[in-house]
Amino acid sequence: MSTNDIPLVAEAEAKVPPAVTRGSRMGKASRQTRGMLVSDVVLIATLLAVVAMVLVPGWIAPYSPTEFNPAVAMMPPSWEYPFGTDEFGRDILSRVIHGARPTLVVAIAGAIMGVGLGTVTGLLAGYAGGRTDEVLMRFMDALMSFPTLILATLIVVMLGSNPVNVIAAIGIVFWPRSARIARAVAQDVAQRSFIEAAWVRGESHAYILFRELLPGVLNVVVVDLSLRITYGTMLSASLSYLGIGVTPPTPAWGLMVKDGQQFIQFASWMVIWPCVAISVVAVAAVLAGERLRQILAPTERGN
Amino acid sequence: MTIAMIPMPIAARVAPTLAVEGLSIDYGPVQAVRNVSLAIAPGEAYGLIGESGSGKSTVAYAVMGYLNSGRVSGGRVVLNGADVFAMGERGLEAVRGSVVSMVFQDPMNALNPSIRVGEQIAEGIRRHAGLDRRAARKRTLELIGLVNLPDPEAITLRYPHQLSGGQLQRIVIAMALALEPKLLVLDEPTTGLDVTTEAVILDLIADIKARSNVALLFISHNLGVVARMCDRVGVLYAGTLVEEGRTDDLLQRPHHPYTRGLIDAMPSVTAAREMVGIPGRLPDLAQVPDGCIFQDRCVLATADCRHGVIPMETIGPGHSSRCLRWRSCATELAPARPAVPRASLAGMAPRLEVADLTRDFPGAPLFPFFRSRPVVQALRGVSLDVREGETVAIVGESGSGKSTFGRLVAGLDRPGGGRILFDGRDISALARARGRDDQRDVQFVFQNPHSALNPHHSVEAIIGRPLRLYLGLRGRALRERVLEILTAVRLGERYLTRAPRELSGGEKQRVCIARAFAANPKLVICDEPTSALDISVQAAILQELRRLQRESENQTSYLFITHDLGVVRQIADRVAVMYLGEIVEFGETADIFTAPQHPYTEALLAAVPEIGRAEQANRRDMRLEGPLPKPTNPPTGCGFHTRCPRVLGPLCETMPPKQSKAEGHWLKCHIPIAQLRRLQESG
Repeated sequence: MSTNDIPLVAEAEAKVPPAVTRGSRMGKASRQTRGMLVSDVVLIATLLAVVAMVLVPGWIAPYSPTEFNPAVAMMPPSWEYPFGTDEFGRDILSRVIHGARPTLVVAIAGAIMGVGLGTVTGLLAGYAGGRTDEVLMRFMDALMSFPTLILATLIVVMLGSNPVNVIAAIGIVFWPRSARIARAVAQDVAQRSFIEAAWVRGESHAYILFRELLPGVLNVVVVDLSLRITYGTMLSASLSYLGIGVTPPTPAWGLMVKDGQQFIQFASWMVIWPCVAISVVAVAAVLAGERLRQILAPTERGN
Repeated sequence: MTIAMIPMPIAARVAPTLAVEGLSIDYGPVQAVRNVSLAIAPGEAYGLIGESGSGKSTVAYAVMGYLNSGRVSGGRVVLNGADVFAMGERGLEAVRGSVVSMVFQDPMNALNPSIRVGEQIAEGIRRHAGLDRRAARKRTLELIGLVNLPDPEAITLRYPHQLSGGQLQRIVIAMALALEPKLLVLDEPTTGLDVTTEAVILDLIADIKARSNVALLFISHNLGVVARMCDRVGVLYAGTLVEEGRTDDLLQRPHHPYTRGLIDAMPSVTAAREMVGIPGRLPDLAQVPDGCIFQDRCVLATADCRHGVIPMETIGPGHSSRCLRWRSCATELAPARPAVPRASLAGMAPRLEVADLTRDFPGAPLFPFFRSRPVVQALRGVSLDVREGETVAIVGESGSGKSTFGRLVAGLDRPGGGRILFDGRDISALARARGRDDQRDVQFVFQNPHSALNPHHSVEAIIGRPLRLYLGLRGRALRERVLEILTAVRLGERYLTRAPRELSGGEKQRVCIARAFAANPKLVICDEPTSALDISVQAAILQELRRLQRESENQTSYLFITHDLGVVRQIADRVAVMYLGEIVEFGETADIFTAPQHPYTEALLAAVPEIGRAEQANRRDMRLEGPLPKPTNPPTGCGFHTRCPRVLGPLCETMPPKQSKAEGHWLKCHIPIAQLRRLQESG
């Protein structure tokens, strides 16, 4: 016999964990992975490698990233040149390693700026509500109506093509997107009684925003930041692919893809390795964000 | 396995509708339910009492064959002769609805908000019983009539949001009865409802039971409800059935210290007796202790209670207890003490004086430029005073405006009109706009302790905050004062560094109270401070509040907002009864709880289910029928006349006069006091 209303209703109810599990913290902790996993070790190793590439590329890279060596131009990957060489005989591996800094510093700084602006805006909008919320969020909507890459290009071209302006461009592009996320969470937290408790105490708005509200939003903001770093990496790569921002001979990853694409048919390694680097960083940042969320999430959900 | 079988009651010698045999259910390492056995005969109502974490809902869901993430580690559930866990999904589907069906606590969640309720009932009938559209519709109308909803035709066309909580719960009951099940599982069916609505729903369930042979498994934390509805009762504690017996037998002569503790913790509306909480907390069910499950919280526990399996011992016909020392329960446990009447505070100076307070919530238009929705009149001229050291309770049902009143006094909202005087100063402003002293003097304790504490702050930071803010305390002085308060609410030093999520509900509320009391307030507004807590915890929290008031330096006053009349009787010096944004009766607690009363107060009291109040079942004439009038368009004259069981006629549509039966007491009613007395004494 097919289902009827009553069991359907009951099923919907039954998905809510029964009262017993709610009371005990053990049930949840055992199923949730809070300890270290093998994947965590891999993740941490990857992140450390990326950090080393940004901080001390000269120590790791076997060759100079900029020195021409026509004798070994466009060599396929070998023991000597594990990632192969480009049309000027420069080692791709060394260029990928040195490319981390111009790519990632811009991405991370841009993401921090965007998420920072967005968080403050979102907190304000979510806490104040009403007209303040309306004005702030419509402004954010206006910003968001521009396609990402076009807005970023516009900003860099207007301000002048240098790394600082690329950071500003990435920040502005991410601002409304982070603001929306922060606002949604802030609205939720602002409903809770401890905000009213602060009201009754006569706390200042600044105290409520940053001491009461912000900690509740922070775990989402951290995850958002890790995602924005990913997008930032790709956006800064896209910008340098378009020839804006970082300029040759600095080995930014996007630039390497751009330079390599004309040889893609007979020297595909010139494009593949910087792409791999972008992907690895992107995936690592997303995974790190996901793990951070798991670790930061409060065990017990208050009702 | 050594299952201590419970002797079957006489009625159950026929094949029971439901037999739970040695049922054990685990959630991961948590042994949530252990070796629970019970049987329900056809036509019998069995009450399963337990607090949160007792496993009562787990048992209820297991009866329906829902295990969720749980795992059956022993025992079985036999429903109408068939083993539920051996049926498989298809078998269960066939059984659900036709053999067993369930009524949930929250009817709003149990219904689909986007389908008309008539269709929701009919769909089940069509699918399950194979009736055609017309026959299903006929049956739907029949069912809606069965649950006493007026005008079934019109009701079928409504969406869930257009019906009140009580009406929705009746629809859910109608759905549950659609296929004439043999067993109806009711999981806290009236917990979310107002007391007057609860009474009507309980009447309905009692009627259904009397008319059919359906067996009821009634899950509740409320002893009063169970006492009224059930033939037999089982008491569940931390996954173990600790006592079972006939309702009156078990509740009059409990033979387990836990049952006794629950009864003593119940606030009573009939008699003023001291409520006693049960100290301690639930054991960790991931490591079930050896011996008696209740040993840590039991005053009778001896060395024997701490090891081995405690058997269910028969102590009388159909009455058994899982206690080695059940013989001592009656003799060694202290008898309930009558509450010490408090000296009248009539001579004390007024601390809070509220005059003609109004508050409207203008309905904002749904879309810009469209017509505004009607104005909700939450408060319609409320006047009240609270004296030094006094507890004034505001009691009323949802929608009465009692919470709005508390929020205005606390400065969470601004009044539309009227005055709020505190120590002679006008404080009808938002809390932020008040002076530092007024902020410090007026504190608030919230209803839900789980959301009233910032999960990212430690207990020390939470309690220390008002001290930093108002008194500028820092460093050692701050820590000493925090510790002092923490000790005053019976939490020790080890709680300082804890985060709220590491506290139980009762502990959280103690922290909230500590925060409110940290800077020696003069007025604490308590908005339903115990309604989110178990009753054993509630009693302890209420005692704490009273003790803090007694010991406070500045004669702290309480404005106590609640819907629970039992709590009111135990804690309040004076009571204001609110209905639709107005106070209908105000006076000393003793005067409010004795006739003659305002008909609304009378109806409220008549609705309270309580142990040993058999006469209340006959007070059906005082049931409030019909929906609460819309607060956007309250009735003219006496706001209560549309539902008043003692309504006189057109006279009631004019403003009722204030009448007084005692010093400091008044009520607003057209019926003269003497006549009210005659009416109410004749019953």
